[in-house]
Amino acid sequence: MKISFAKATVPTEGALVVGVLEDRVLTPTAADIDARTQGLIARAMAASRFEGKRDQTLLLLAPAGLELARLLLIGLGKAADIDAKVAQSFGGGAVAQLQGAGDQVVAIAADAIAGAPIGAADFAANAALGARLRSYRFDKYRTREKKEEKPSVKKLSVLLSDVTAAKQAYQPLDAVADGVFLTRDLASEPANVIYPESLAAKAQTLSELGVEVEVLSEKQMRKLGMGALLAVGQGSEKDSQMVVMQWKGAGTDEAPVAFIGKGVTFDSGGISIKPAAGMEEMKTDMGGAAVVIGLMKALALRKARVNAVGIVGLVENMPSGNAQRPGDVVTSASGQTIEVINTDAEGRLVLADALWYAQDRFKPRAMVDLATLTGAIVISLGDYYAGLFANNDDLAERLLGAGAKVSEPLWRMPLDDQYDKQIKSDIADMKNTGGREAGSITAAMFLKRFVKDTPWAHLDIAGVTWSKKDLAVTPKGATAFGVRLLDRLVADHYEQK
Amino acid sequence: MPEIGFTPVAGTDAIAVGVRPGGVLAPTAGRVDRGGMIARVLAGSRAFKGEEGDVLPVCTPDGWIVLVGLGDPDEDAAARFRRIGGSRYQELADAGISRLDVALDLSPAEAAEVAYGLALRSWRPPLRYRSKPDPDEVPTLDAVRMVSGDPDAARAAYEPLAARAAAAALVRDLVVAPGNELTPEGFLSRLRGLQDHGIGVEDVDPAAVPLPLLAAVGAGSAHPPKLVVLTWPGGEGAPVVLVGKGITFDAGGISIKPAEDLEEMKGDMAGAAAVAGALLAAALRKAPVALVGVLALAENMPSGRACRPGDVVVGHAGLSVEIVDTDAEGRLVLADALSYAAERFKPRMMIDLATLTGAVEEALGRHRAGLFTASDDLAGRLMAAGEAEEERLWRLPLTDVYDEAVRSPVADLRNCCWEEEDGPDALHAARFLAHFVPEGVPWAHIDIAGVAEADEDGPLAAEGPTGFGVRLLDRLVGDGREG
Repeated sequence: MKISFAKATVPTEGALVVGVLEDRVLTPTAADIDARTQGLIARAMAASRFEGKRDQTLLLLAPAGLELARLLLIGLGKAADIDAKVAQSFGGGAVAQLQGAGDQVVAIAADAIAGAPIGAADFAANAALGARLRSYRFDKYRTREKKEEKPSVKKLSVLLSDVTAAKQAYQPLDAVADGVFLTRDLASEPANVIYPESLAAKAQTLSELGVEVEVLSEKQMRKLGMGALLAVGQGSEKDSQMVVMQWKGAGTDEAPVAFIGKGVTFDSGGISIKPAAGMEEMKTDMGGAAVVIGLMKALALRKARVNAVGIVGLVENMPSGNAQRPGDVVTSASGQTIEVINTDAEGRLVLADALWYAQDRFKPRAMVDLATLTGAIVISLGDYYAGLFANNDDLAERLLGAGAKVSEPLWRMPLDDQYDKQIKSDIADMKNTGGREAGSITAAMFLKRFVKDTPWAHLDIAGVTWSKKDLAVTPKGATAFGVRLLDRLVADHYEQK
Repeated sequence: MPEIGFTPVAGTDAIAVGVRPGGVLAPTAGRVDRGGMIARVLAGSRAFKGEEGDVLPVCTPDGWIVLVGLGDPDEDAAARFRRIGGSRYQELADAGISRLDVALDLSPAEAAEVAYGLALRSWRPPLRYRSKPDPDEVPTLDAVRMVSGDPDAARAAYEPLAARAAAAALVRDLVVAPGNELTPEGFLSRLRGLQDHGIGVEDVDPAAVPLPLLAAVGAGSAHPPKLVVLTWPGGEGAPVVLVGKGITFDAGGISIKPAEDLEEMKGDMAGAAAVAGALLAAALRKAPVALVGVLALAENMPSGRACRPGDVVVGHAGLSVEIVDTDAEGRLVLADALSYAAERFKPRMMIDLATLTGAVEEALGRHRAGLFTASDDLAGRLMAAGEAEEERLWRLPLTDVYDEAVRSPVADLRNCCWEEEDGPDALHAARFLAHFVPEGVPWAHIDIAGVAEADEDGPLAAEGPTGFGVRLLDRLVGDGREG
């Protein structure tokens, strides 16, 4: 689907989408059409339950007096509440309603709305972003899909008066959408296609955008003492990898912000193998790494004025004659020893070495890791919030704020010292599980042992990485939760103005 | 519990004295130290460093000298001295000392906190459940005198804390009581004892009101359910209302629980017990506040009369509920109790406590209870009260996105969500309850399933019932001027 911006005129083909405010107040284009058609819209609304409430829709086929095939009304709610999120869900709603309807051409009227806190150009740009994000599909493995099952929309134009301003506002959003799409692709790919080396190769393509990419081999990691990460991968035929991505958008002096991702390309659980039902979802256990790679792409594409480092630890967790066993003791890059009680609590082992390496080598200003880490976070918060753990209140506030702005909501969870005793080991410095109670917190307490004084936050995204239902700007499947959030965090707090 | 008194001078044959980290002796410790004896003891001990919680009894020709670590003076003093009191009791209760004078050279307020910690830590399960009490279970320490330069001030500071400790002991007694003793009517008869303290005790018949959800949960048991209203008329105006879940035994009903650890379900009334305790604390310290406790008491048993999964019941609030899981019963009894309490008492705030979900244990473990409220103000005050009493809370979301999970295909609501087997049941339960609280009533729900009982000894409670909630509620209620 190709997205463009154009001067506002009533189109003569395909579908047109217009906004309606609460209490059936028409936006200018809607009012114009209503006048031209002797009150068609007013009559249609009167004969329906459509009141202009947010995300309500009303579809009119072959509207009399117009050459259009369809006219779609979408509720915008109260003018005073219209922000970027409402604009995005307006665009997303248009695509959700129309992409399979049959039209090849869709126009969205992005009128300037009196009394809205968002300007016309930003409204149009965010409507375009919402439309694009919602249009995502992962269909490369469908070889016999019928034509009527494929989306029909080829061209989507966003109509407004100041086309130049909207294009300019859309540019960085488009870059973020590119990052989101890369993340969704990576998380959707099956594990026989995306494994540590192939995922590292995908990350390497970012060098075309000016990202410096290094890939550490098992041999190099062994030299760096990364015994925790390597132990997870040792049961697999696939070699483990660590990818270091640097985007230097702010000159050389400034300490970078570091983003660290858990990249278990397939998690069978290892010798502590998981039950079979639903195990195919474990191809997404590299969701954190996928977010970091997508984020680096977004930052590079929009030439963010920031120094950012992305580090992803890539392993496959498999049972085999060479796999690590419950009871094994491994030595991490920090020198601390870990008793592996459960080989299926492997993400924290990968992150332990990645976090240590990130702070040791880059001395970052702040460090955020993302990981599909625990089932307990789903029991704690469900599939709406991701869990936020932080050793620094400022960083936590910044993340909570960024998440609220982009509808990737976080909920802070505690990191009290009292939880630490649950991960004391009888024979090593710590063990890798703390039992059933407070499972997400004890996982975070484990990670905390590998963080020195760096402001650090850990996002447990196990509940939000894959959506079982369609969301406003996210079709069901891989969500890329985290890309837009962290892009916003960087833009609001770490970029040079 | 040993008898606790206050005195200006030490005089018995056992004395506890304070030592700071690094072996620095408090003044009294210096005075009783003969010929550098304490320094020699400290030099020979790795375990005693003067840290908070360190206790070392030394037998001397003049009697016992108990060295007590005072810890780092920078840390929150009240909580630290409370823990010192608790840990000292733990070490000394069975050491053979019967009378102890505690001379740590503290201010009256600090001495009162030490006494408070000691009183809290000294609770033990009643001995009457054994046919022949084990003599080793009877503590030897039976009198403690706090030595203070101003014993009257220390005694005055201790009075409200003593009320809180006595209330905590009541809560623990109730939680530890077996289900055949503490049936709903057994619970009520225990509560009748509160009348001696000026608390009103009212037995409300669930059938008469009616309270159909409470009645449905209790339907399977031979011991009928009860709603008990406790009132402490200490002040004027709209009362603070506390609501407690009191499932005296929770077998799960027809959705019966697995047998392993099922005996622990005698403690599924810890929320109601904490509410009763909060009323007692307010009465003992004659708090100038109008306080009401509403206890929803029922036994959840399978039987031919029990409610079935799939049953639809219209509750007191007029909302219909499909009971898809008879083991998600706590939210049913609370729904009726909250709706009834809000309608009858028009509270200025309403707080419920319940051992409600296993999910909250998986989320927050045993160090914090889950706090759900739409009111930032109430959340802030509860969190602060919990912090001060070391009954810690953590706020969890009460967002309407979770309403979908408790929507029923046939009724207004269902009581839990099977589709998300490993889903956020604590959040679903809180959203379920929110439907039964009228708009405009400041309300908080505290899920204490993870904290009502401890799985190991702590500074203020041994393994077993903690009494969680009573201290934080009493602190929140305070003198009634707040809120």
